[in-house]
Amino acid sequence: MAPVQVGAGIGIANLPNQRHKIVAKSGANFTLMVCGESGLGKTTFINTLFTTSIKTPKTYKRRYNKTAEKTVEIEIIRAELEEKQFNVKLSVIDTPGFGDYTNNRDSWMPIIDFIDDQHESYMRQEQQPKRQELSDMRVHCCLYFIRPSGHTLKPLDIEVMKRLGTRVNLIPVIAKADTMTPTDLHKFKKRILEVIAAQNIQCYTFPLESDDEASTKRNMNIMAAMPFSIIGSTDDVVTADGRTVKGRQYSWGVAEVENEDHCDFKKLRQLLIRTHMLDLISSTEETHYETYRHAQMETRKIGEAKVKTVTNPKWKEEEEALRKRFTEQVRLEENRFRSWEQQLIAERDRLNKDLEAEHSHIKALEAELEAMQAGLSPKPRK
Amino acid sequence: MVVGASGLGRTTFINTLCDADVVPKRECDEPEMAHIEEGIKIKPYTVELDEDGVKISLTVVDTPGFGDMIDNEYCFQEILGYLERQYDDILSEESRIKRNPRFRDNRVHALLYFIAPTGHSLREIDIELMKRLSPRINVIPVIGKSDTLTPSELADFKKRIMEDIEHYNIPIYNFPYDPEEDDEETVEENGHLRSLLPFALIGCEEEIVVNGRKVRARQYPWGIVEVDNSQHCDFAKLRFALLSSHLQDLKDITHDYLYENYRTEKLSRSADDLSEEGSDEEDQHARMKEEQLRKEEEKLREIELKVERELKEKQQELWAKEQQLQTLEAQQA
Repeated sequence: MAPVQVGAGIGIANLPNQRHKIVAKSGANFTLMVCGESGLGKTTFINTLFTTSIKTPKTYKRRYNKTAEKTVEIEIIRAELEEKQFNVKLSVIDTPGFGDYTNNRDSWMPIIDFIDDQHESYMRQEQQPKRQELSDMRVHCCLYFIRPSGHTLKPLDIEVMKRLGTRVNLIPVIAKADTMTPTDLHKFKKRILEVIAAQNIQCYTFPLESDDEASTKRNMNIMAAMPFSIIGSTDDVVTADGRTVKGRQYSWGVAEVENEDHCDFKKLRQLLIRTHMLDLISSTEETHYETYRHAQMETRKIGEAKVKTVTNPKWKEEEEALRKRFTEQVRLEENRFRSWEQQLIAERDRLNKDLEAEHSHIKALEAELEAMQAGLSPKPRK
Repeated sequence: MVVGASGLGRTTFINTLCDADVVPKRECDEPEMAHIEEGIKIKPYTVELDEDGVKISLTVVDTPGFGDMIDNEYCFQEILGYLERQYDDILSEESRIKRNPRFRDNRVHALLYFIAPTGHSLREIDIELMKRLSPRINVIPVIGKSDTLTPSELADFKKRIMEDIEHYNIPIYNFPYDPEEDDEETVEENGHLRSLLPFALIGCEEEIVVNGRKVRARQYPWGIVEVDNSQHCDFAKLRFALLSSHLQDLKDITHDYLYENYRTEKLSRSADDLSEEGSDEEDQHARMKEEQLRKEEEKLREIELKVERELKEKQQELWAKEQQLQTLEAQQA
């Protein structure tokens, strides 16, 4: 059916405005994950991106109390942002402990499991009879922080990015970009793109073509700058020519955060918040979630629980501890029952003995009685 | 020896220290092979330096591939094995009956460990490595690529690293001095160097023109970082300490203290278990080497004798010929 052009306008064109009102009232829900070794500036970047102190910087007093278990933790920080009466419920997921240990084998398992678990829990909620109140913690975007070595990606980076790219929108980011001179940075970016292409790592891409010329050019500009080099800073410093900007103050100059020549922070912020946030959310819902659902539905029926492979040693330890406690308690109960049984037996024996005693007493009395009767009865015969 | 994860400026530092292109830049391999983990490699390079008129033959051992793999337990063993092999060579050389006068002392006198400039504190791999290697070598911790950190961050970072080193009892080379014995100058100098630990380093090979002078510096859009400027980094001080003032001290400690400890441990270990196969194999190995040397010496002697014999024969021939000529002459005359 060919679309029919309505003449003077009956108000169909007002639909986007209605949608705008509905969305503006309900607000948005955005989940961002930052992944990378410690000391690359993840916390600072988040605080810089949203220009508020969402996450407090690391405290150093407790670093000697680290436990012997070397696992990657998942930390969730929730915040609610408001701009011009529009709310965004923001969740930031941090992965402390990733890549910090001598042996980092399988250190990506907690992260991958977390992402899959969010898809899983959303899927289960969808299959419930009542699905009005869905809590959606699916990760919309994952920023992977690359160490600015200047050479190439490490094997650990490649392994993790491969696995992340198929499950979530992955955006690689070069951290602490003020380590490298512009020529070094350019070479490094090229190397990373080559490795990403050769290793078939799926990164986030978005449609470049759009309605107006300006957006297309802007989109191409942003895409060309991947992977983004960033500098994070929440402090205001004064530059040589007197401006007050957010930046880092060195004894040889000031590296500015918002300066396009110094780093790609502005482009990344534009991508994440201003222009493509909705695309990130919808691509997560449409592409990644559907891929997951598709894969799961092929082998499972509706309502069945997921087959879990528990590889986390911490869980095994807890399981062991629980089992031990359980057997302990069972043993205690059994002992109690046994002693109770013995008490009962002792009681019964005692009562039996008393009964016996009574019996013999009665017999004795009966014997006496008979004797007395026998003694009595011959007397009347005499 | 320089040890550190890749990308921390080790190679550049070596080239900057020697003021020449000693170590070739890492050639990045094919992108398709980037996911293959290479093990750690140990590469020694020898350079002749001239420090204030004193000639130094500097051997730098680079360790590319350290800390790059997903599981890095193996790296420690490799480096430790290399250090102990050098000690073993010296030990067997000392115990030999006939010592080789041209024996080259390959013991490593100092190890510069590059710490990543995270800004937080020491990581597990840093602590493990320094702990395991400090009984065998002088460990000097340094911060690579220190132009990542602002001056206040750098001061905090240094403080936290020194706290960590104390907390985990890691014996590093901290420019020891004795307040009573040494003179004031030494005390002051060592105290100052100790306060600078761990040294903040920046490496750069290119020269650019700053204020009309040619300096080694890195050019950023927001400024220029000079390598030799003491306010920007501690490179100049470290170079002076390593190659001039504390060179002898490092060698002395290596020989008198670390080597002696190793020797004691090794000999008491082999005295305890004489019947163990391990020490037998080592003895056999040493004996084999000695036998080889002896055989070579014998061969040389045989060749000498042969040459002498040939010479004598030639002499006799010439004599006989001379005689003949003389008789001919006598006949003619």
